[in-house]
Amino acid sequence: MFDLVDSTIFFASYGNALGLANVSIGPFDIVLAYIAAIVVSIVVALALKIPLLPSKPYRYSFDVSAIYPTPIIAIGIFSIFLVLNYTFMYNGLVLAIIIGILSALFVKYLFDFVFPKPLNEDNGEDIDE
Amino acid sequence: MNEVIGIIIAAILCWLNFVIVDTYFGLPEQPGVRGAKIVGKNVEKRGGDIAGGYFQGNVLCSPDASAGTLLASIGYLLLGIPGGIIAAFFVFMGNRLCADPGYAGTCGSLTATLILFICCSFLGFAPEMFIVGMVIAILTIQGIDQVRASVVLGKIAEKFNRHARE
Repeated sequence: MFDLVDSTIFFASYGNALGLANVSIGPFDIVLAYIAAIVVSIVVALALKIPLLPSKPYRYSFDVSAIYPTPIIAIGIFSIFLVLNYTFMYNGLVLAIIIGILSALFVKYLFDFVFPKPLNEDNGEDIDE
Repeated sequence: MNEVIGIIIAAILCWLNFVIVDTYFGLPEQPGVRGAKIVGKNVEKRGGDIAGGYFQGNVLCSPDASAGTLLASIGYLLLGIPGGIIAAFFVFMGNRLCADPGYAGTCGSLTATLILFICCSFLGFAPEMFIVGMVIAILTIQGIDQVRASVVLGKIAEKFNRHARE
């Protein structure tokens, strides 16, 4: 009857009517596109001089690096496009590369603006007692 | 597969997944957010372990591998493997919004997606079993006996060399 998920996805995939989506994209193409998104995002992030690994005690992820947030953002956004059945040309490869480049640019230039670092522990009021 | 047996096995898998990932990324070592510190101190006051208390507080206050496993199961149920990856992405954003400086949530939901893919494609599980199993797994940590659960978590943290006192 009222199937929210299905009808939402169906509505969001109307872009297919323009012929931009690839109708027959198989599992191999999807895996290839994911790998392309990960590799491109890491390579572009390294080219933008983001360090490869996060700072050593792996506990403070607000310091961005090429391994941690960049591929996660890339494959997350690519998954959203994939679920909406909008994969563009060449079995999704072009879309994966574009998203990889854009996510690296986002991490380099916009990340601190969108997700500002939390205040220092000492600055807030102390509610410990 | 029989539903009850599937739920029990899924609960054990989920418990192992989120406890191992959370402990490895240092949840028992220090409170990532301020609420976790209060929970940990309170659990210690009632006779529990401070590391287990920090663990429980971190699980309670911000999206860590427990929330990651639950959301990945739900995403997998709705959308398949891309759903699990979208869940990881949203857990990452939730971590940022909670000002939680951890890696556990994102990594936990990615490993949970991997476990779900293996179990649902080859072993005949259903994603619903993992959702129920994860709720049961969180209940054993937070719901039944918080003090005794914190002692168990503290012992696991010592095994991983992640205890708060060291």
